[in-house]
Order: sequence, then structure tokens, then C-alpha cells
Amino acid sequence: MKNTGVVILSLLFAATVFAAAGHAADWVEQPLFAERVSSGELPPIAERVPQVPRVIDLAAVGRENGRYGGRMNMLMGKQKDVKMMVVYGYARLVGFDENLNLVPDILEKFEVEEGRIFTFHLRPGHRWSDGHPFTTEDFRYYWEDMANNPDISPGGPARTLLVDGQPPKVEYLSDTVVRYTWHAPNPEFLPALAGASPLFIYHASHFMKQYNANYRDADDLAVLVEEAGVRSWTGLHLRRGRQYRPENPEMPTLQPWHNTTQPPSERFVFERNPFFHRVDTNGHQFPYVDEVVLSMGTTSLIPAKAGSGEADIQARYIRFDHYTFLKQAEERNDYTTRLWRTAKGSQVALYPNLNTEDPEWRKLVRDVRFRRALSLAIDRIEIAQVIYFGLVQQSADTVLPESPLYDPSFSEAWSGYDIDQANVLLDEMGLTERDSDGYRLMPDGRLLEVIVTTAGESTEETDILELITPSWEKIGVKLLVHSSQRDVFRNRVFSGHSVMAVWQGLSNGVPTAQMSPWELAPTTQQQLQWPMWGQFYESGGTGGTGVDMPEAQQLLDLFAKWQGATSDEEKADAWKAMLQLYTDQVFSIGTVNGARQPVLVANKLRNVPAEGVYNWNPGAYFGMYLLDSVWIDE
Amino acid sequence: MSPTPLPPPGQKLEHYVAEAPFDAMSTERLTEAQERIYLASQWKLMWWKFKRHKLALISAIFLIFLHASILICEVIAPYNLETRNSHAVYFPPQGIHMFHEGEINFPFVYGTERELNMELLQWNYTNDTSKRLPVRFFCSGDEYRFWGFFDATFHFMCPPEGGTLYLLGTDQLGRDMFSRIVYGARISLTIGIIGISISFVLGITIGGIAGYYGGFADLVIQRMIEVVSSLPNIPLWLALAAILPVNWSPLLVYFGITVILGLLDWTGLARAVRSKLLSLREEDYVLAAQLMGADSGRIIGRHLVPGFASHLIATATVAVPTMVLAETALSYLGVGLRRPITSWGVLLNDAQNFNVIALYPWLILPVVPVIFVVLAFNFMGDGLRDAADPYK
Repeated sequence: MKNTGVVILSLLFAATVFAAAGHAADWVEQPLFAERVSSGELPPIAERVPQVPRVIDLAAVGRENGRYGGRMNMLMGKQKDVKMMVVYGYARLVGFDENLNLVPDILEKFEVEEGRIFTFHLRPGHRWSDGHPFTTEDFRYYWEDMANNPDISPGGPARTLLVDGQPPKVEYLSDTVVRYTWHAPNPEFLPALAGASPLFIYHASHFMKQYNANYRDADDLAVLVEEAGVRSWTGLHLRRGRQYRPENPEMPTLQPWHNTTQPPSERFVFERNPFFHRVDTNGHQFPYVDEVVLSMGTTSLIPAKAGSGEADIQARYIRFDHYTFLKQAEERNDYTTRLWRTAKGSQVALYPNLNTEDPEWRKLVRDVRFRRALSLAIDRIEIAQVIYFGLVQQSADTVLPESPLYDPSFSEAWSGYDIDQANVLLDEMGLTERDSDGYRLMPDGRLLEVIVTTAGESTEETDILELITPSWEKIGVKLLVHSSQRDVFRNRVFSGHSVMAVWQGLSNGVPTAQMSPWELAPTTQQQLQWPMWGQFYESGGTGGTGVDMPEAQQLLDLFAKWQGATSDEEKADAWKAMLQLYTDQVFSIGTVNGARQPVLVANKLRNVPAEGVYNWNPGAYFGMYLLDSVWIDE
Repeated sequence: MSPTPLPPPGQKLEHYVAEAPFDAMSTERLTEAQERIYLASQWKLMWWKFKRHKLALISAIFLIFLHASILICEVIAPYNLETRNSHAVYFPPQGIHMFHEGEINFPFVYGTERELNMELLQWNYTNDTSKRLPVRFFCSGDEYRFWGFFDATFHFMCPPEGGTLYLLGTDQLGRDMFSRIVYGARISLTIGIIGISISFVLGITIGGIAGYYGGFADLVIQRMIEVVSSLPNIPLWLALAAILPVNWSPLLVYFGITVILGLLDWTGLARAVRSKLLSLREEDYVLAAQLMGADSGRIIGRHLVPGFASHLIATATVAVPTMVLAETALSYLGVGLRRPITSWGVLLNDAQNFNVIALYPWLILPVVPVIFVVLAFNFMGDGLRDAADPYK
């Protein structure tokens, strides 16, 4: 111990001598690296931190500076869950802070002109986790050798990199300055870079070139391809360089922790990135924690394992109904279960499939009165009481009050419990014939039975459907549940076999005007209420069918208006108009939102907020709260 | 009475039965005790033997009661199948008390207070011993449609006025588990009975043909049985259950599952029938019947099958629990019956997570009737098998 202390002290001294200008005067070396530094394997910390690091003032957000060391355990389901380390790490070119402002993170600063010219300034001296400099060459490599290489990206650059199908002009002004220029505004660009699953526009060029046929001798590469057992060098390039799934321990990264385990494995060890760019005000480089260990296992057992103390911080695969169980085991295993808020537009939502193949049904679900009636006939108060202990809000599928775009008229739209009005609406539609049990008949004489397709993954969904069944019966609508598996479920919805699907509501319930309102317009096949229109938009008209419903077209027009907007007011206006139209038309039937997510935190962990929003985008779950600032007090 | 002349060779004999009264005691007189045994019908002998197997007798009585109850489960259950009480979610089993502070009372339940434990997010239900609510018997409660004929409200037992009666607790939506188990019996038990009837008919017919005719028919049927019984059960059920159309009403699905279970279960029975027939058809009385000109239908139906009917019944009895278990397994896996049809398997399907075991253990109670029914059928089958061979 004494020796390491001496080493650290001498390193401190060395650091002060070598430190460049600025406040980077007295960096504190990590004990983990002391040996590697003294043997010359790693440069000292002062040379590892960028010249202009991102200084995080933890005291300003009510947290405290910490100490180095320790290990954090998490439980995951499958090997591909290693991607969660990229999500939680949340090192992005630009990222959202806790107030949902976009701030530079990997970038030192960025400038936006006219909403279409983006100039990015990198941090001088910033390095990849293997010590190689991170420069604009890495942006060039991505843009020229990946996005615009037809072998690697047969479909061309990602959709968010195109405006009206036109790619940007990319200029490399210096080693640290890169500029993207479009002919028209591209408001989706920055939020895409800040996403939980981000748009990567850079890649470690020095590492990836060894797998690229343009930079490497074909024979050498052929040997590598052969060894890896893949079909071509592009396959190898893809497999060795998955930035969003860091399975390859050799791949350099900019995230706080880098993988050290070669798959396949049941246990992945992530070690701190010695060249990470965030520091605290106390001369410590983030992350505080040396190692993060991911253990893979059956997802249904994760709550039980977490409750027995096998995880230090865990929210993934834990549901609200596990809370009581986790809470009871708290003292025994020295952790605390916190309740964060979720930010989905609706905890569970019903999606009438406007593209259903049955013409009679299509006519019904496209009638706004039908959708409104179904929404009015849901007793949301009962759902809130029975399933969520009242800890939710009754709401249509829309944004939450935390969002600056929120208006009470959105959440209240057709979300009251009014059987009489619902019956009036259905009668108005001419659905007055009933069978002997009191169920309505469709115009062609069939029983009005809505078969709701579920992915069969959550009992929450089935319980809520079971609560809706009797209240729909009161308006003469029969509800049947068909559960299947997720793939079958999607196929049934996409092909129009299903009339109604159940899934969670809008994934982003706390948007700001800068974030894209794509979820409110038919923009992708994944949208369960209009998969074919979405596919049409997504594929540029080669698949699916065009929108043939004025209200949906209006949403698309408003979306285009948002995309073309240059000021925040214009964007907010477009957003609100879309929210208003979407909720008034009840394109998805919401139930309750603002439900809680249990977050299990070991008592030895510091700097995990007691309350927070557990959300995918924006938020990246723990990412927004800077998991690298968590430290272990032992 | 002169015997009829023989028909020309190759022609069928005419069926001839002597009309003279048969005197069993023409050669030897029996004592009264002997007479009782030797002249008793086979069924009587079986009953005497069966009675001596006490466990089997008790099981039989238990099963008769249980099966009778499914006719009137609306009356037995204090609540309807879908009656929900959103103020009594995950309510633990409630006891019926007779004594309060040393005094005998009319059976009563205590009133309950509920409060939300915000710390654990759990409803706590506590007994309020100052409130004693007498349970009502032969009373009127939830309305139901009896056998689809008329509306009624009569129950053997009802919750007290202003109180609740959750003998086995409630589930996540506040539905009474006891009532649901009573209703579940209707589905789970009838599946056993209907399924076994189907396999009985198939088994006797197919096995009968194989055993009596032998030869080519036997060969074909034997191979068929081998193929059917070599198919792995669970995947086959899964496949068949998956092809039942989605928009079938739950009742049709129930019927479909029953038929599927029946269609796959006849092979064992057919084998038993065949082997029995193979040995019995060599008996002298069969030869006698043949000489008397009886046709094969009559010989199988009148002379052979009764000779081992008791065995058949025993085999069938032992097969019923496999049906009940199969239904439970299928529904537990989520491919058998679906809500809102409620069987014991469906109830167990709801209970398959560790949360239930840790916090709400009463939700796995539907296992208990499954165990009892399976055991009872096995004991009864055991008794029947012994009884089927009364002379042993």
C-alpha cells in the first residue's frame, strides 16, 4: 500500500511537471493503472486526459466528487446486451443533460448556422481507448470509406444524414474541426447524434483500416476473412467494428469503459477507458469505477437474482410488480430500491390498425368515432388503482407534463370514462344491430369482436386488457386477446392480419421542440397503427402503400414543416399541432402514463440520483445521469 | 325338437340356441354360501372386492362428489367467475371463524381494513376483530345464468353483507380464487371425461378389429399404433394446439383441445384390447358361440368385450389423470386453453413467476385439486384393477 502511495505521489509530481496549460494541474492517477504507468505501458494521466477535458461540476447537480476503484455488477439477458454499456456510458458527440438541453460532450464545442451548417470542434489531445489520437480523419473514414462505400453501406448514408435525399458536404477544416453542410435545415441531425442508440459518424480509422480492402493488401485480408469464417471482407469489417455492440475487445472506443472479454461468454468485464475525456473538479478522471461486470442469464430470473444482491445497479428486466419483492429483501442484501419515473406516452396502448386487410374492419377503424368510442370506454381510474397503486396519470397516448410541449388538452382528449357518449358515437355510426348477448354487429352481420394481438411478453398487458374487456362489453364491443411471439406479432400487424395491437405508447413522452416528432406521423413500418404507410415513407415509395387518409397526410405535412423549421418557435408550433391532431384523432388509444420503474442501487454506490426519469430516448436510461460519475464508498 | 339338417358344405350354420331351461345344479348341489359366490354376477363380485379396498372406495366417493359438483358450480362458488373487486387485490385467504373470545358463534368472518403500504407498495389487509360478519348460507348473491336456462342468484354460501368471503384469497385483479378453482374444475374434469370417452371408442374399435381378425389388419394397426405412440407428446400437442384458429370462441378451443388429447391417447387402450382379444378368442365358449353360428359382431360385443370390460374400465380410470395433467401442462405453457376459459392449468399459468411464490403463495393453490384428482383416480383405478379379477 505504501509503495503505491509513493508511486502515486511521484506520479502526481510528474503530472504537475508535464501538465499542459490550464487547470489540469494536479491530476490524480488511478491506482489500477499505477503499475502500467510506471512500466511505461501507459502514459501518465496528464497525457491521457485531453488538453480541454469536459469538466463536470458534480456539486452543481447536487452530487459529490468521489474516489477511484471498485467494481459494479449488472445482470443482462443475452450477449448482445453488451450494447447497454454504450447506452449507459453515453459518450456522444453531443448529448442531453438532465434538463434536456443539448450540450457538447465528446466535442469541445459545436456551431449551427441556419439549421443546416454544423461545425464540430474536437478536443485537442483526445484519444481512443487504445491511445491513438481521435481526429477528423476518423470522421473522414466513416463518411468516405463507410457511409459512401457501396460495399459496406449498400443503401448509402443513414436516413438522418440525408435531407430530401441529398447528402451533406463534409469538410475537414483541420485535425480537430469538421463541418457538415446541407442545402436545407436538418433538425434531426443533432438529436440523432445524442440518441441512446446513436448515429455514429466517426469510427476508429487506424483500427478499421486493417479490415478494409482499400487500405490493406487483398491477400492479407483474405487470410483474415478465412480465419474469421465470414463471407467477405465487408462482413469482417462489420463484425470487428460494431460500435453499438462492443463485443470485440480489441476495438477502440470513446466510451467510459471498454470491453476486455472475447465472446462468446456469460460474463463480460468492461475496464475503465484510460483516455476518457470527462473529469471532475477535483483532478479525477472519470469513470470512478474501475470495472463493470455484466453477467448474462435468464431474464425472468433477473429480479430474483438482483434481489439476492447479485447486482449493484439494475433496472433492466425489472418490472413494477417486482418492487414489493425487491423492497422486502433490501436490508438483507444492502441495497435500496428507488422508484424512477418512466417517460412513455402510455404504459400500455392499443393500436387500431388502419392498414388492416379486411375492408369492413378497415372502414370501422378509420372512422374516428369508432376510435374515440373505444377510448372513452376504458376505465383508466380502475386500471391505475388495480395495477399501479394509483401512482400513474390517466392519459391519452401523448407527452407527459414534464415536457415543455405538454398541454392538458392532449392528455384529456377522449380519455375520460364515458360509456354513454361512447354508445352514442357507435350508434351514430349505424352500428345499432345487436345479437342476443347484447354485442353489436358489424354492417355485414358479423359480430363486432375486436381481436387484440399481443406479443405475449407482459402480464401487465393481459391484465389491462382483462380490465378493458368488461367496459367495452358495456358498449357492445367484444374484446378477444390473441397472444403470440414478438416476431409473429409484428408480422401479423405489418401484413394487416391484425385489427388491433397492444404495445407501449409513444417511446418519447418528454420531448422538447428540438427532438423529432417522427412518432406522430407515419414514418416507419414499426408503427403499429399504420405499418404500410410507414413502410411507404421509409422506403421512399418502393414498399407499402401511400397514405390515403387526410388526417394522416396532415400529420406528414406537419412533420415536413417541423423538418423545414429553423427556429425553435416554429418547431414547437409544428409539434403542438401534431400532438393536437394525433390525440384528437386517437390514432393510438392510451391508458395511463408516468408509471414507475424500480431501480435497484447498492447502498455502497454514491451519486445515483434518488429520483430520475428512466427513459430510452432522450435519456439513455442511466446515461443522462452519467453512470461514470458513480463511485463506490467502501 | 329335431335338429335342423346340416346346410350344404361351405354354407353358414344357422344360429341355434337350445330352449330347454338351464339348470346349473344338475350335476352338483351347492351350499347357500357357495351359491352366493358362484352364482353372483361378475359386477357383484367386483363390487364386493372393490369395497374391501378402502382407499379406492374413498377416492371413488371423492371423485363422484367432485364430478357432481361441476354441474352446480355456480351454486357452490360464492362469487361468479369474473366478479372483480378492485378494493381487494391480492387479498390473502380469509378464515371462517366459529369462536370469538371463547364463545361459540354462527360462522363468521372478521371485517377487514385495508391500507396501502407505500413503503413496499403492497396492500395490507388486517382483521378488524370488533366487526364480526356472519357468513350467509343458502342465500342470494351474484346473479348467474343457470345451465343457460334461467337467471338465478342462489348460492350455498355468500359473502356477508358489507363484507368479503375469500376462502383462498384473490388474484391480481381481485377475483376470488376459491370460486375460480370451483369453476376451473368444470373445465379440467370434463376434459378428462370427454377425452377418455373419445379414446375409449377409438381404442375398443381399433384394438377389437386388430385382435379379433389378426393377420393383415392386425399388422397395419400395430404399425399405426407404433407410429402414433412414437410421436413426442408435448411438441405434438403444441403443434396441434397452435393450429386451432384464433377466432374460435374459447369454448370451441376447449372442445378442440379435448379432441386432440383424445385422438392421441387411444393407443395404449387399443393394445390392451387387442392382446385380451387374442387370448380370449381361443377360449372354448367362443368356439361354442362360433359353432352356434353367431357372427363376429355378436361374438366381440356379447361374448368377448364383457369378458374384459372390467379391465377396460380400470385402464380408462388410470388414463383420466393423464388427460387432466396434459390439459394443465398445455395451459400452463400458454398454448392450451385461453382466458377467459378458466381451468386449473390456466390458473396456474397466471402463477408462474417467483413473485407469486414469494409474496402471494395462495395463487398456486390450484395445484392442490390437481394433485388430489390425479391421486384419487390412481387409487380408484388400482382398486378397480384388483376388483376386475374377483377370483384371485
